[in-house]
Amino acid sequence: MTYLNHPPIDPRLDLVLERIVDVPPELVWAAWTTPVHLKKWFTPAPWVTVDCEIDLRPGGIFRTVMRGPEGQEHHVAGCYLEVVKNERLVWTDALAPGYRPSEKPFFTAIIKFEPHGTGTKYTAIAIHKDEETRKNHEQMGFHDGWGKALDQLVAFARTL
Amino acid sequence: MANQSDELDGMFQALGDPTRRAVLERLGSGPTPVRELAEPFKMALPSFLQHLRVLEDRGLVHSQKVGRVRTYRLAPQPLKAAEHWIVTRRAHWERRLDQLDSYLQELKKQQS
Repeated sequence: MTYLNHPPIDPRLDLVLERIVDVPPELVWAAWTTPVHLKKWFTPAPWVTVDCEIDLRPGGIFRTVMRGPEGQEHHVAGCYLEVVKNERLVWTDALAPGYRPSEKPFFTAIIKFEPHGTGTKYTAIAIHKDEETRKNHEQMGFHDGWGKALDQLVAFARTL
Repeated sequence: MANQSDELDGMFQALGDPTRRAVLERLGSGPTPVRELAEPFKMALPSFLQHLRVLEDRGLVHSQKVGRVRTYRLAPQPLKAAEHWIVTRRAHWERRLDQLDSYLQELKKQQS
């Protein structure tokens, strides 16, 4: 099968992050694809992942529930698009499980895993929809719990 | 476009340090001479100056020397909304992956 290895990136909307870890690809893959592991790290503190459901096949569900420090909850459900064990994982919230178009599409994530010596190089690509979705996302205030320092800083900059 | 992305990377790096964030917050209330800026930090002056250099290289602050006193102020160009958003998204992902990497180290220890 051929796939779109690296889609066109818009730096105003998209992110590419690359990491090298001294851990074999099988373990990195497990951390991304097993609820019990994923719950331990997926949501930046002080938010936590309190529930996670994974049906690891194209069209299968990927659902998480994140809880904020004040008890507020954020539910995200999407589906996998590509599942290539130890190599490549693609999911989106633009399609609900079973490929049904979703109400509020926001992003697609591509995670690539490559052996790197005895460890792994993994690349996370986050592709976001458009300006309007960006604004909606800001209004949800989801990042308030963890981006505070940065927000305050930007507020300072804006007063200049 | 790559340039813009590099700029964001640089800015994020500059913001990713508590001392540098504190300096920016301090400068938020007005231009400040180096000595006064350095005061609250328990750090050798050369290390502190290194932080100021990073902020200046990234275009977040400017400095001006009058006589023997160098004064720093915030750069007049604020982060634009779009930059703010993408920088915040990046911070989110960086933190998420930091958590993943430390969890992976734990997993690895458990397995060996």
